[in-house]
Amino acid sequence: MTTVIGVDVGGTFTDLVLHDAATGEIRVAKQATTPRAPESGVLAAVDAAVPAESLARCAHFVHGTTVGLNALLESTGPRESGPRNRVPGVEKPGVEKRGAVVGLVTTAGFRDVLEIRRGDRDDPYDLFWTPPPPLVPRRLRVEVDERVAADGGVVRELDPAGVRQAARLFEAEGVDAVAVVLINSYVDPGHELRVAELLRNAGFTGPISLSHEISGEYREYERTSTTVVDAIVRHRMGPYLHNLDRELRARGFTGRLLVTRSGGGALTLDEAVARPFETILSGPVAGAAATARLSATLGIGTAIAADVGGTSFDTALVEDGRLPLLFQGEVVGLPLQSPWVDVRSVGAGGGSIAYVDPGGLLRVGPRSAGAVPGPACYLRGGAEPTVTDAALHLGLIPAGRISGGISLSAGAAARALAPLAGPLALSGTTGPTESTGTEGVDAVAEGVIRIASAHMAQAVRGVTVERGVDPRGAAIVAFGGAGPMFGCLLADELDVDTVIVPPNAGNFSAVGLVQADIVRSAARTLVRALDGEALPVIERLADTLFKRLTAVERSTAVEPLTADDAVREVDLDLRHRGQEHTLTIPLRPGEDDVESVTARFSDAYHRTFGHRLPDPLEVVTVRATTRVVLDADRPPVPAPAAGDTARSLTRLWSFRRRAWAEAPVVRRSAVDGPLEGPALVLEPTATTYLDAGFTAEAHPGGCLMIRRKDRR
Amino acid sequence: MSDLVRTRYVEVNPGLAEGADPVTTEIIRQGLNAAADQMKQSLIRTAFSPIIYEALDFAVAFYDADMCMLAQAPTLPAFMGTLGFCVREAVDGVGGPGALGPGDVILYNDPYGTGSHPQDAAMIVPIFHDDVLVGYSAIKAHWLDIGGKDPYCTDTIDVHQEGTIFPGVKLYDAGRLVSDIYRMILANSRMPEMVIGDINAMVAGARTGAEALAALVRRHGLGTFRRSVARMYAHGEALVRGWFERLPDGVYRASSLIDSDGVNDGPIPFGVKVAVSGSSVTVDLTDCPDQVGGPVNCPLPSTVAAVRIAIAFLAGAGEQPNEGHFRPLELVTRPGSLFHPVRPAPCFMYGIPSDHAIELIIRALAEAVPDSVPAASGGDINALVWWGNREATGEPWADGAPHPVGQGASPSGDGASALMYISESATRFTPAEVWESRNPWRIERLALAEDSGGPGRHRGGLGLDLSFRVLEDQYLTAGLARTALEPWGLAGGLPGRPNRLTVEYPDGRAEDFSLKTRIFLPKGSVVHLRTGSGGGYGPPAERDPLAVLADLREGYITRDHAGRHYPHAF
Repeated sequence: MTTVIGVDVGGTFTDLVLHDAATGEIRVAKQATTPRAPESGVLAAVDAAVPAESLARCAHFVHGTTVGLNALLESTGPRESGPRNRVPGVEKPGVEKRGAVVGLVTTAGFRDVLEIRRGDRDDPYDLFWTPPPPLVPRRLRVEVDERVAADGGVVRELDPAGVRQAARLFEAEGVDAVAVVLINSYVDPGHELRVAELLRNAGFTGPISLSHEISGEYREYERTSTTVVDAIVRHRMGPYLHNLDRELRARGFTGRLLVTRSGGGALTLDEAVARPFETILSGPVAGAAATARLSATLGIGTAIAADVGGTSFDTALVEDGRLPLLFQGEVVGLPLQSPWVDVRSVGAGGGSIAYVDPGGLLRVGPRSAGAVPGPACYLRGGAEPTVTDAALHLGLIPAGRISGGISLSAGAAARALAPLAGPLALSGTTGPTESTGTEGVDAVAEGVIRIASAHMAQAVRGVTVERGVDPRGAAIVAFGGAGPMFGCLLADELDVDTVIVPPNAGNFSAVGLVQADIVRSAARTLVRALDGEALPVIERLADTLFKRLTAVERSTAVEPLTADDAVREVDLDLRHRGQEHTLTIPLRPGEDDVESVTARFSDAYHRTFGHRLPDPLEVVTVRATTRVVLDADRPPVPAPAAGDTARSLTRLWSFRRRAWAEAPVVRRSAVDGPLEGPALVLEPTATTYLDAGFTAEAHPGGCLMIRRKDRR
Repeated sequence: MSDLVRTRYVEVNPGLAEGADPVTTEIIRQGLNAAADQMKQSLIRTAFSPIIYEALDFAVAFYDADMCMLAQAPTLPAFMGTLGFCVREAVDGVGGPGALGPGDVILYNDPYGTGSHPQDAAMIVPIFHDDVLVGYSAIKAHWLDIGGKDPYCTDTIDVHQEGTIFPGVKLYDAGRLVSDIYRMILANSRMPEMVIGDINAMVAGARTGAEALAALVRRHGLGTFRRSVARMYAHGEALVRGWFERLPDGVYRASSLIDSDGVNDGPIPFGVKVAVSGSSVTVDLTDCPDQVGGPVNCPLPSTVAAVRIAIAFLAGAGEQPNEGHFRPLELVTRPGSLFHPVRPAPCFMYGIPSDHAIELIIRALAEAVPDSVPAASGGDINALVWWGNREATGEPWADGAPHPVGQGASPSGDGASALMYISESATRFTPAEVWESRNPWRIERLALAEDSGGPGRHRGGLGLDLSFRVLEDQYLTAGLARTALEPWGLAGGLPGRPNRLTVEYPDGRAEDFSLKTRIFLPKGSVVHLRTGSGGGYGPPAERDPLAVLADLREGYITRDHAGRHYPHAF
């Protein structure tokens, strides 16, 4: 066991979790984020919550940061804040900050790829939809004469004079960083390497991002976008991380600084500096990673992560303890060719605002009251009704003080909900003169919660059905401040029989941070038939990729990890010849033959799409991953013990009975034998709502296991 | 002259919406949209032809037992609401709803029922709940080839030259593949392997959708489901009526010219008349010639779709449409005319009149809602279809794609550059690196066309310049429209450039084409596609000098162009 500190910087709060091996203590702290100088927020959280001796004992400091994302947002400029462009937990930085000035070198004829994109609209029904301005203005996109064919043959040699001219322009324009993206460089990177060399010879000293090193996959727009994003965030990320590392060491830290990835796991400091685009959106990943770890520990085959926060519902499908990976992500409308944990986010959280639309239907979200002014019941100036107001009115969460010094007012919640009763009743069944009395408010509140759960259930159906998984066989892992409140409702929506509320449910995502492995990956597009000659070629390519990964490893300053520590994984993107979309299948080098790979693909294809095809297979991309498991036997974090075993009674709404019920309120630590719903289970960071027909029991590992006794 | 036809909504279940709970209705409405999306994802992920998985040239939708549209996943707006006709015709074709049972899959591709060419084939799956027919899932997708005189035709003189027609036949009967039909399909396609793959993907997608809809009905019960659906239609109708109510009543008109019919030379004039009265709107498309000799006739379902798209873009409030959104609309057409042809008029290039009508209906409303109407875009999808046999192996190959155009400037700003025409707004074009890994081409240029945007207070979006060098002998069919008509400006803005296709042969000869089937391209030819740009909005003299200088600095315009159109900036 080792001591680990995790610090995740979000838009509003910086979360810290300390797992001290010496004392067995788990400590969780929250600090306001300081967007202008993120490292001071991180250090303030450390100074406030971590004793000096714990910091000195700390082997791994795992950091989730939005520094890269913020650097990108500074370069993308103001955008319409539609739901599509929303990045959970990230506030728009002030306009006075200037993003990196990036220059782009392209093949002659292709300088506009970044601006032309793929010709589609984010909103197909918006006549006026306009793409955001390109990350690199047109005058800084420079063409050089050269051409490589799709088979790697050189059609035109690189013209060095063009590169030198580009260097002069970049100098004159004050370019901070350069991205180089040449057509078909994924097949042969020679010209990109030569461009970098010529730029250096011409005196350019800033960072240079070469597309074949960043991505290695085909599709020039997506690769250009990824490379330019890398160039932009690199400018900010290196100095930030080195500075943080220095400050931590000045405070007695001697361990390893790790940075979380969008694709799960964490990078070492050096690699995060070298491949900063991989860290761009790690925030939502921690919860899915914690779910993966928990389901592996509990031996759960299929788990659904259900994370309900203030503004969004984040969900992911975890099978056999593995994170669901995609190999292309998107942030603020920009595609990124990088591993990406498939966490879906919908605008349904505690702060989501309910309203009656012009056609007379009740709608919930995606607009959110956020933390400020917050739900009406916070009494901080919010007047519009939210999911939290509805939950409070129905007794799903208790009135009174919650963390952060906020006091929940049931009266304010009812007052905010009441105005919706009239319009809904008018267009419904009960006639135009329905009063705004209690029944009306009850009906509105019930409707708000039902619609919010239906939203969430659809997101879950999306992540499961698309992977060919029937959600009915899964267990729901409910966490985040409002997740445990929705667990039973989601179980009924999805026809699921098991709900698990993990220990520290409100801070479960932060717990995921301290469980990260060190993961590195690289990929290369190689379009060819999967035949007997293919496997040796693939294995040689995988070796090349691994060599590159271990080269970075060796440059790591702090006690380099040896190659023996790392688990090596090779995956292949395969498809039936003629198809475009691929499935990613693990390869066992040295053991597999064409038949075994084909069979594995065919099984996965059948599971995902429900049928098998006889057509021959084609390899598209080879992926290499190394994984260093930092502390394999870390147990799940136990729930904090609390002495209070008092029970009281409350009045709450049972969705199954569609009626009010008297129900016990129980401290989580006091749940010993089976607890029958309806009931509320309280803990410091979350409240679990147990409907009639559900039973909760404490699991020895610290989880609350909820079973559905009778199906609705 | 034959009697005019009025296409409008006739209420099926009056009063059913009363008693529907607005909360359950919202939950079911979202459930339907999500189920349609599942069907779409399933098709995209299993389809074989890039025209489906990359260009998204398909439509997926649910219909209720009365064949009203429950939900359609966002794909091609061009297919908005067209599946209703084809579900009705397909079901009639196999003997009506009474002849359907669980496990059936109907195949239908008659152009007069789908609104498009025979390559757009529909699969329809009836959905049952406790032995009661509760609705249909339907997928229409573009097959690479189903016979016809050429894989893609711009010069047909009747519909029978355009492909093999399946007028509503069971491909699966009670879950069993009808092998006679299956073999007929394969025997009539130049690319049977691709078509088999796409058929499987369509059947799997339609079945996925059918299961998702059946689950939704099970969850809520049939009675609640039906009441909520009726309430949902009323909701959609109220949204669209709310938008039209704000418009001043009146009759709004616009007219334009289609380049040619592909067989006979000479432009085809037509006009639209949009009458707004209270919250209802009537679109009249009778001001057009009788059906023409070449394949630019627009079958009624696609004419209806054109009207629905135009209205959805203006009034749809960004919602996924259902039958209710279309209730305030009435369409007037004349059987035997360009916008309501009768068999056997050729209609392979139906998209040309349909796409043109969309932009013209929107233009007609410029007077009523000046803030909501942009100048013209490049106005076409610039479809190119390529095929040949690989030099080394003799293997047949084919590819085809639409290409982006500049968008019209509007009162709120410059037009966007290089976006797909609005009828194909969800479509993406293929990356050059993917093209080169698949086809015997080298892309020599993929660039924004400088100076192409129509000058104005707000500038039109730029068109695209694309050059393909062909590395082996091959054939090309060009389906370009709006090559003669310049994209119009509005409010004093100047026009943009029209679409243009030039083939430069190895011997130095060059020739322009617009609608042309089977152009032989010897190895070494270069095909230059210059797509249209957007028209400008407002007088160029009113353009902000700083915007002119910025365009000049970034190279969107040249010094010469700036001096000619914006002398006030210097």
